[in-house]
Amino acid sequence: MKSTSSPTFRRRSDTPFFLVMGGISACFIILIVLLLAADVVFTSPSDFIDALRKPEIQAAFRLTILSCSAAAVLSLWVATPLGYLLSRYRFPGRWLVDTLVDIPIVLPPLVLGLSLLILFHLPIFGWELEAWLRDSVGFPVTYQWPAVVLAQFSVACAFAVRTMRVTFDQIDPRAEDVARTLGCTRGQAFMQIALPQAWRGMIAATTIAWARALGEFGPILVFAGATRMRTEVLSTTVFLELSIGQLNAAVAVSLLMVAMAVVVLLILRVLGTGLNA
Amino acid sequence: MNRTYLLMAGSLVALIGIVVMLGDREKPSSSGRAVMLYCAASNRAVMESIRKEYEQEFDRSVDIQYGPSQTLLSSIEVAKQGDLYLPADDSYLNLGKEKGLIAEEIPIAKMQAVIAVPKGNPKSIQSLNDLLRDDVRVVLASPDSAAIGKVVRETLSAIDRWDGLDKTTKAYRGTVNEVANDIKIGAADAGIVYDAVLHTYPDLTFVEIPELAATASQISVGVIASTEHTADALHFARYIASADRGLEHYGNHGFRVSGGDTWADQPELSVFAGSMLRPAIEDTIAAFEKREGVKVNRVYNGCGILVAQMKAGQHPDAYFACDSEFMNQVHDLFPEPVPVSQNELVILVQKGNPKGISSLRDLSKEGLRVGIGHEKQCAMGWITQNTFREGGVQQEIMPNVTVQTPTGDMLVNQLQTGSLDAAVAYLSNAAGASEFLDAIRIQGIDCSVATQPWAVAKQSPYPNLASRLFQQICSTESQDIFAAEGFRWQNLGKDATDE
Repeated sequence: MKSTSSPTFRRRSDTPFFLVMGGISACFIILIVLLLAADVVFTSPSDFIDALRKPEIQAAFRLTILSCSAAAVLSLWVATPLGYLLSRYRFPGRWLVDTLVDIPIVLPPLVLGLSLLILFHLPIFGWELEAWLRDSVGFPVTYQWPAVVLAQFSVACAFAVRTMRVTFDQIDPRAEDVARTLGCTRGQAFMQIALPQAWRGMIAATTIAWARALGEFGPILVFAGATRMRTEVLSTTVFLELSIGQLNAAVAVSLLMVAMAVVVLLILRVLGTGLNA
Repeated sequence: MNRTYLLMAGSLVALIGIVVMLGDREKPSSSGRAVMLYCAASNRAVMESIRKEYEQEFDRSVDIQYGPSQTLLSSIEVAKQGDLYLPADDSYLNLGKEKGLIAEEIPIAKMQAVIAVPKGNPKSIQSLNDLLRDDVRVVLASPDSAAIGKVVRETLSAIDRWDGLDKTTKAYRGTVNEVANDIKIGAADAGIVYDAVLHTYPDLTFVEIPELAATASQISVGVIASTEHTADALHFARYIASADRGLEHYGNHGFRVSGGDTWADQPELSVFAGSMLRPAIEDTIAAFEKREGVKVNRVYNGCGILVAQMKAGQHPDAYFACDSEFMNQVHDLFPEPVPVSQNELVILVQKGNPKGISSLRDLSKEGLRVGIGHEKQCAMGWITQNTFREGGVQQEIMPNVTVQTPTGDMLVNQLQTGSLDAAVAYLSNAAGASEFLDAIRIQGIDCSVATQPWAVAKQSPYPNLASRLFQQICSTESQDIFAAEGFRWQNLGKDATDE
């Protein structure tokens, strides 16, 4: 009697559980779907196609893809060692490094852009970084494409570092220790043991960095400007179209960004997991 | 393990590839250095059409940074880059001037504050009172951060209508475009915006109300003080502000335009000026020519001769007269003269005053050779005769007058050569000859002081260019030159102090 009543009890109790959990989850999912649906209804296919045909939007699209990819790869290169160090070692001033890494995450985006601008133009005993890069190295940054990448990287990298740190936290250091007892150096243990295990975390960090770079707007506007065909990325396009009342174009570009984000996130997810889990 | 190294190598190659592609995408500029303009995002539509036309016409490039006016101003302050700044309204230019970031500004167009409503005006909003109705959702631009919010609050506060509107306002938005966007998507029924903003909103229309009639904002383009390429910058700025180029685009985009210079690649400004003003203004004009990349054809002569030339049909763009009397004679050509400086009539004698002259009456001493200005040909001669009459010495002195010249400089030359014992001329005429001459003041006769007015011809094709030249003439550096040349500066404003 008891054995037959138990599954019935579980079945009765599971339904409200899934209803509550699913209902709450569905609210958020529905909100996102509704937002996208509203955008789709607001614009028309012809507006969307017109927007995509504009050479300046095509240029912004290309710059967005390239700059986000550059920022994401750079973020991965910086975030992997930094995340590893923060995860594995307790060194003096670690708390300070940990705090500093988080600053771009909490800083208002415009402030970050302004800080970059000031950094490159601050005269230090008559020497100025931007002037030196421009005149001596021949590589001007402010209001040029490197400023776009740097602005995106500054924010995206902070998120990537967080991800990589959590990744290495979750990897047991025991295997590395064993490798070192077998004769590996720290470097070899990192390259041959830790890094291969961090594979999915690296994909996740790249994904997050790329997505964060795509949504970056404030620092780019301040540090790189919004020069058409040169430093205009899709997020600044949306702002500029809104500024002159071109809501249809703004929504069309927004949808384009959504599509880009979905495609890139899916690709990276498939790469990272072998499937779309 | 191999996969790790492969990933590292792959990402490095990818990064290099991306950087190469980013570098390649920059198109080489068509010719020379591009002018860099910081432009309010709200002006993008009109500015893009102007830029396109300009680049086609001159094969010169213009780089434009769009963004919010205040953000752009901060960027200018920090980066110290760029040539021109075109904010949403000129209050930002004033801010820039206060900080020393903006050298000069050129007016372009005006925008009028109006009530924006959806096309067809479904809520029948006709007056300010309608905005207070319960069934009308009003959205305004923030009076603390948006220019239009600021001017609307000032205007309506002055007539005690602000508080009521403030209470019924559903939300304040950061920019005027956000207000228009709210109305467009149906989040609000009405809002106060600039009429020009609505040009890109075909679904919206506007209602003009008398309370906001005086609420307009000026759009001007400012030259960034730190630019080293003033001629290039001003070339594009003049293009934007010219009646038959940029202003046509502004007009087509719903802005209110009036005046503006006629376009010329290198305009030639014609200025008539009294001879005595030459040393005071020549350097300033030469510097202005270089800075603007324009030509200023100046004609210095006795004002009587200049007036005669103008009456004979020559029409300069600006006239800088030696005395108001001669400006009055061509009032129909120059309706709005501005007094600029004063010059004092003095008795010039040889160094050491060998003839012992101390007053006007001494000029009537027997055998004295006196030179004065020609009564008809120059202001100086005309004022000299008035001064003689006022001093009651005209009859006595005139027999000793051996020469009447159209300019004071000629009298100074004659004094130096010894062909005259004394001359009545301006103090400024003696400024460069203090080694050879002494100046004796004429006491107690008011009319011995001449006032020099400046005016721009109402028919001039370059009124803005002429006004900018006048701004340079009124600059502190220029005032110092006037003082050094013996002129007294007229009190035109706060910085135009009496020297």
